[in-house]
Amino acid sequence: MADANGAAPTRTITVLVADDNEVAQRLCKRVLEKAGYAVLIAADGLQAVDIALAQRPAMILMDVAMPGIDGLEAMRRIKAEIPGMPIVIASAHSMASDRERFLAAGADNVLSKPFRLADLIAIVQSLTGAPTV
Amino acid sequence: MSWTRHLVRRALPFAALAAIFAIQALADAQSVVAFPLYLAVVLVVALQQNRGESLAVAVIAAMAVVLLPLATGHTSELLPAVLLAAVLLAVAATMAELTRHMRDAASAEQRRLDGLVASERRLRAMVEAVDVGLGLAELDGTWIQVNEPLAALLGRTRDELLRTTVLGLTSDEDRSSVEGALALLRAGDITHWSADVEQLKLDGQPVPVALFMARIPGASAGASLVVQATDLAARRRADAMRDGIAAVRQALITSAAVGTAMPEVLEALRNYLGWSRARYWARDAEMPAEGLVGRVVQSGVLAADRFTVAFPVVDSGEVVGVIELASDQPRTPLDDEVTLLATAGVEIGQFIRRAETAQALRRSEADHRAIYERSPIGIARISADGELLEANPALLHMLDHDQETMRASAWPDILHAYDQAAARSRKASFLAGITDGSSVQVRAATGAGNWLWLQLTATSIPDPRGRLEHVLVLVEDVTAVRETSDRLAESLEAQREANANLEKLDRTKSEFLSIVSHEFRTALTGIQGFSELIRDGGLEADELRAYGGYIFNDADRVNRLIGDMLDLDRMESGRMTMRTADVDINEVLAEAISRAVPSAVTVEFKSDFDPRLPIVAGDRDRLIQVVSNLVNNAVKYSPEGGTVTLSSRVEGRFALLSVTDTGIGIPQDEIGHVFERFRRVRSGAAQSIPGTGLGLTIVKQIVEMHGGKIWVESAVGHGSSFHFTIPLAPEGAGALQLRHG
Repeated sequence: MADANGAAPTRTITVLVADDNEVAQRLCKRVLEKAGYAVLIAADGLQAVDIALAQRPAMILMDVAMPGIDGLEAMRRIKAEIPGMPIVIASAHSMASDRERFLAAGADNVLSKPFRLADLIAIVQSLTGAPTV
Repeated sequence: MSWTRHLVRRALPFAALAAIFAIQALADAQSVVAFPLYLAVVLVVALQQNRGESLAVAVIAAMAVVLLPLATGHTSELLPAVLLAAVLLAVAATMAELTRHMRDAASAEQRRLDGLVASERRLRAMVEAVDVGLGLAELDGTWIQVNEPLAALLGRTRDELLRTTVLGLTSDEDRSSVEGALALLRAGDITHWSADVEQLKLDGQPVPVALFMARIPGASAGASLVVQATDLAARRRADAMRDGIAAVRQALITSAAVGTAMPEVLEALRNYLGWSRARYWARDAEMPAEGLVGRVVQSGVLAADRFTVAFPVVDSGEVVGVIELASDQPRTPLDDEVTLLATAGVEIGQFIRRAETAQALRRSEADHRAIYERSPIGIARISADGELLEANPALLHMLDHDQETMRASAWPDILHAYDQAAARSRKASFLAGITDGSSVQVRAATGAGNWLWLQLTATSIPDPRGRLEHVLVLVEDVTAVRETSDRLAESLEAQREANANLEKLDRTKSEFLSIVSHEFRTALTGIQGFSELIRDGGLEADELRAYGGYIFNDADRVNRLIGDMLDLDRMESGRMTMRTADVDINEVLAEAISRAVPSAVTVEFKSDFDPRLPIVAGDRDRLIQVVSNLVNNAVKYSPEGGTVTLSSRVEGRFALLSVTDTGIGIPQDEIGHVFERFRRVRSGAAQSIPGTGLGLTIVKQIVEMHGGKIWVESAVGHGSSFHFTIPLAPEGAGALQLRHG
């Protein structure tokens, strides 16, 4: 995919960050934009579903504990519409059993909060490839 | 010899006749001459010989008288001869008849005499044979005749006795009375007399006799006396033996136990039979192996020496004991006494067995009775048709009834309860069939009105033919057991609940840990991420400032989180101490407002205080914490231009405080959970409002620690009202007024 995309002179990779915590939103936005990604923000599960279906980002970084529908439900709904949409669950629920639970629910990968900034970039890159800056 | 004499005597008359005939013939004498000779022979023969012989002699003589004239031819002499012959025959016949009469008379007399002699002999034999002394005496008492028993009784030979008199034998004490009696008899004033008197033997030994004298009329020699003397000693001995065995039997009949009968038996034997000492040796006790007693034990028969007699007490052929009788005088038991003692031995033996059996039965009966009477378990004896026959004291005591009430009402109730309980457990009813040993528990009321749990265990008692005679019901008070088991079941249930609560608590704790770690990690995400950005450098100054602010806020949040958690833990574990004092709650409300105002510029505060609100009892700092928390929440969830109103008033013995906002309100499904930990209203407009999620939980704890209550009224879009109460201080009203004054 990277090769195919690499042919294009300018290419923007959009990542949707779904998190109800403003600090987390800002941190992710700041880090990913600095790494060359376009970042969309959703503050709860329903917004995440709406934006994902409307904007079709390259991938979604999804918090779990959110008002309204939680991240897992949002993921289920999105995957029902766009089965190939890569979704990384980024949660402060970081026990071993949580990780299994999220993967079993269909997550492509899991990022435990708090995280190293390099880990965030690596996990996004692994699913979308590096953006051209 | 006699035979020859007899023959000679028989032949002699015929020879005489022949001789006369020969002489007549020789002398040729006339028949008249010879006739007297013939007549003489015929007479002699007729007197002496028997009738046939005398007639034969007479016929021959007649023939001789007639024959000679015939032979000689003197016909003239024939006729007188025939006459003479006829005379001879007639004489002979007459004589024969006469002789026969005489002989008959003589033999009749002889027979009469013989009869008299025999009668006399019999009478004498009888007199000698009787066991009483009999004698004949003159009216003055001189003996005429005595029998042998009388002589023996009076210790003399018959001849010695005949030399004495009735009076002479009588002892001095009785002499006068006998003398008087003789005088009366002699005079004919009385015909008979009798008395017990003492006679003296030859050696002077006194003999008690029953003396009987009767006057009998005599023919020539005048009247005489019949004297009868009966040996009183023998009669008394016989009487004593009869009385003795009667006394023994009496003792055996009237006594219940061997222990009481035996002394009486021994006393009877000793007393009536004239022994000095009597003793009973029981077989199993101290029976000596030697001596008279030992001999009796081994041989099982009566044994005696000159001073002692011992006889076995026999039961079913076995010697169970020996009775020993001892005398100070030498004596040998007579046959009748031996028989009596042997009989007594058997009867006493049978009695001992009977008595022991009876005693064993009585003891057994007494044991059972004692069990029945003293058993701590209630026992009821029930007839085959269910009627109470008898209730033991324990049962009556247990149910606090008397026998009559028990029979009339309490027992029928129990029976009814039994049948109901039996029906529930699918058992037969009481009368339909007793299942031995199976128990049924019923409720029963006591006379005092208490209710007991009774365990009834019924056992059927059959009669000897196997039919149900009555039923024994054991009644146990199992109230305590039942209550204990009920309590046990309750405590088991409580334990189960506690376990469930513990499990729930454990789950809650896990959930709590999970939530807390989530909260911390969420806060740390910002702190770690932005501090990493700052560390890596290359940031603008305004970026740096902003990121520092994020880090500070999250660090502060973590700090508050820790503080709240520790507070909550202290409160819940009871380790938080309250510094209770008089608090003016209006002043607390005012301070909370003044603290909130600087950071809450977008809302308007209103206060609606009751100025007469009394003092409350509380921890002022904690109360400020409560109100501030509620106020901060109200501000947080209020849009710009909202109003937060604080009010106070008296509600009974409480101060009622309210914090009302015009904010977003709490959704209906969340309102029941607002006081739970980490329950933050996140939906809608509330989603970005920060908080630890522990504030309301802590508020509730503090209010409840004061003895108050907290609740919330809310509607989405119309704001929320948090109300809580704090108890007034006992003397609060006066104190407040003073202060206000």
